[in-house]
Amino acid sequence: MATSSNPFIQADGKKPTCMEMLQSILDGEATPEQKIYFKQHMDHCMPCYKEYNVDMTIKELLKAKCCGGNCPEDLVAQIKAQIKSSAA
Amino acid sequence: MELEDAPRQHYSEKEKQDIFDHEFMPHIHSMYNFGYRLTLDRDDAKDLVQDTYLKAFRFIESFQKGTNAKAWLFRILKNSFINDYRKKSKEPSKVDYQEVETYYNSDEVDRQITPDLRVESLKDMIGDEISNALNSLDVDFRTVIILCDLEGFKYEEMAKILDIPIGTVRSRLHRARNLLKEKLKSYAQSMGYNKA
Repeated sequence: MATSSNPFIQADGKKPTCMEMLQSILDGEATPEQKIYFKQHMDHCMPCYKEYNVDMTIKELLKAKCCGGNCPEDLVAQIKAQIKSSAA
Repeated sequence: MELEDAPRQHYSEKEKQDIFDHEFMPHIHSMYNFGYRLTLDRDDAKDLVQDTYLKAFRFIESFQKGTNAKAWLFRILKNSFINDYRKKSKEPSKVDYQEVETYYNSDEVDRQITPDLRVESLKDMIGDEISNALNSLDVDFRTVIILCDLEGFKYEEMAKILDIPIGTVRSRLHRARNLLKEKLKSYAQSMGYNKA
């Protein structure tokens, strides 16, 4: 059945470790099929389930807390003025 | 310099201005944040972003309209940081990537470094902790986290921005995530969590 084959298996037939599957998910490199497979895998792999939740929480916190606000307005104006004078 | 080596496009003055305004400027906030996270100084970040945009305009004919402007700009900023800023500041300790590769390829990869870091303790962190933990990482590790988790770049784009092979991007990210978790774990412990 299609659902029983592991979409993480590479062309060379190497079976991925839990960590390798998790990393593909975290790094945003997993395909939709791989995401579905990993979700099913977590139902019976408690270490992956726990690690996934911690890692995803960190990823979300980074995005929420470290995107640092907007660039100062004066910098935008300075850059535009310098471009204008260099183009003239 | 790679910008000078790229195949040249030919743009009218109006086209140059259009590319600059509509393809480059929309990324200025991400660029500023990247500059800040690299230099850890708001004034240095402003200088770095300004230098990057002026360079981008000067070499605009090395940029092919409609391609990945964000990755192109990030690459210029990263190179400016290495060439101009990193030299000025104290030379950071070089990461032993050989060791990283060995670690990554060893049988220990499934070992959980932070088995007792919990979602609840992470959610109680108000913001400074996560930011401080990120800032405390070696700049090379910090960079891959910024590119992947804050900016959503793919391996292939990161490899081009950083001039390193995709395999190195992957192993560096893996190591960076573990180091970040170790930092967060010590914050969590200092907050009174995970004492068991």
